[in-house]
Amino acid sequence: MEKQEKIKILYVDDEINNLTGFKASFRMNFNIMIAVNATDAMEHLNSNPDIRVILCDQRMPGKTGVQFFEEIRSRYPKPIRILLTGYTDIDSVIDSINLGNVFRYVKKPWTDADILGAINEANKFYVSNSLLAVKNEELQRAYDELDKFSYSVTHDMRGPLLSILGAIEAAQHMDNISEIRDMLMMMKTSVRNLDDFIQSIHDYYNLNRGELEIKQIDFKELVEEQIRIFSFTYLVSDVKFTTSIVQKETFRGDELSIKLILNNLISNAFKYQKKENKDKFVKLNILVENGSAMLEVMDNGVGIAESLQGDIFNMFFRANSHEVGSGFGLYNVKVAVTKLNGKITVDSELNKGTCFRVTIQNK
Amino acid sequence: MSLAFPHFIVIDDSQLDCFIAEKIIQNTGTYSSIKSYTQATDALESIKSSGVKNDAITIIVLDIQMPLMNGFQFVEAFEQLPKEIQSGYAIFLFSSSINENDKNRMENYPSIKRFYGKPISKETVARMIEQL
Repeated sequence: MEKQEKIKILYVDDEINNLTGFKASFRMNFNIMIAVNATDAMEHLNSNPDIRVILCDQRMPGKTGVQFFEEIRSRYPKPIRILLTGYTDIDSVIDSINLGNVFRYVKKPWTDADILGAINEANKFYVSNSLLAVKNEELQRAYDELDKFSYSVTHDMRGPLLSILGAIEAAQHMDNISEIRDMLMMMKTSVRNLDDFIQSIHDYYNLNRGELEIKQIDFKELVEEQIRIFSFTYLVSDVKFTTSIVQKETFRGDELSIKLILNNLISNAFKYQKKENKDKFVKLNILVENGSAMLEVMDNGVGIAESLQGDIFNMFFRANSHEVGSGFGLYNVKVAVTKLNGKITVDSELNKGTCFRVTIQNK
Repeated sequence: MSLAFPHFIVIDDSQLDCFIAEKIIQNTGTYSSIKSYTQATDALESIKSSGVKNDAITIIVLDIQMPLMNGFQFVEAFEQLPKEIQSGYAIFLFSSSINENDKNRMENYPSIKRFYGKPISKETVARMIEQL
């Protein structure tokens, strides 16, 4: 631990000679704080929450070392406790373990090796305890997230299914064929929503579990593939789709993530169009130069209110009451962009349109 | 229950769910009028501008999970309206799922009559009318 900062330890002893002797012996190894009584010791503990090890003499006037440890244990649970004692009777050993919950018991007079060994062991114990606490916290957070996740997922999967169920029920009382056809069209939308949603969960899972797979990316090819996908759903519509792809150098990156980003941004641009607009458009611009790729997806659709723009990348957030939308897409995009060490910005105005710009570095 | 059938307002961000609710209610024949809104804010505006009504009561079929203004936020805003306006309406919450949190939250809003699971059926329509 040469370069590491010295760990803080506290030594409590009523004999000043012991304290100074101790400090002289170990000041090169540790950052040592000393206290002649419990009150001084408390002060050190209050102002130094990062003290890792406390050594205390058993024999002090007014209070034994065990009593001191017993007293501070609940208020300062983190530091590891070591008792120094000249006594060797079994009762005080038992007390120190049961009441003071000490980690080590060092017999006086001590040797340097005894102390160094005890402190190093105590430090290891401290470190693994703190790691455990951090892990526990992470686990709790992950669990809470899962809780929220499963509730929302259940809701979003049941939603379209129950809509279809309701539609079937209503259709059973219909005699008018064109009315039934309308119903079928809406059921189709519901089925598509559910399918989109399941696809998003799949993306989410891949993004969070999958490793990056860096390979050469041909953006022209990638976009052509996207166009084939979209031709089934969107290109039949009256939205004008134009692309401009300028790739000046070979680009290496994770294809899956880039596809996901393009797919979500483009399908959003198609989805959130203004119905009454005569010349609807979606523009895709890709420019690869100077070691980075800039992807830009622009539309003249419904736009996003400025007050909501800060939330659009949050999971399950929806800025629009448009029927299609799970609140998953842009969240996944953000995760993918972050995974590629990239940046995403949005420029949008309500009722005017939206432009997403993603920049990712060549690997 | 008064002699006239109630009016209905359906608030649901899903167009299909609005449509289904309208059809189901229509099929029961027990209604004076039906209107539906995919945005809660629009429904609220319309309620505000209609003011105090003296004819049959209006049943509000309200979805919980909606973007921009959800069911609970709608109820919050509704309960700010003058009492004379509020008394013309009865709110019923609808959702495909409800968690404990939502259940506890419901207690805070006296204007919510009951919660029903989706989809709406002719039985639910009859039960809502019974409770007026």
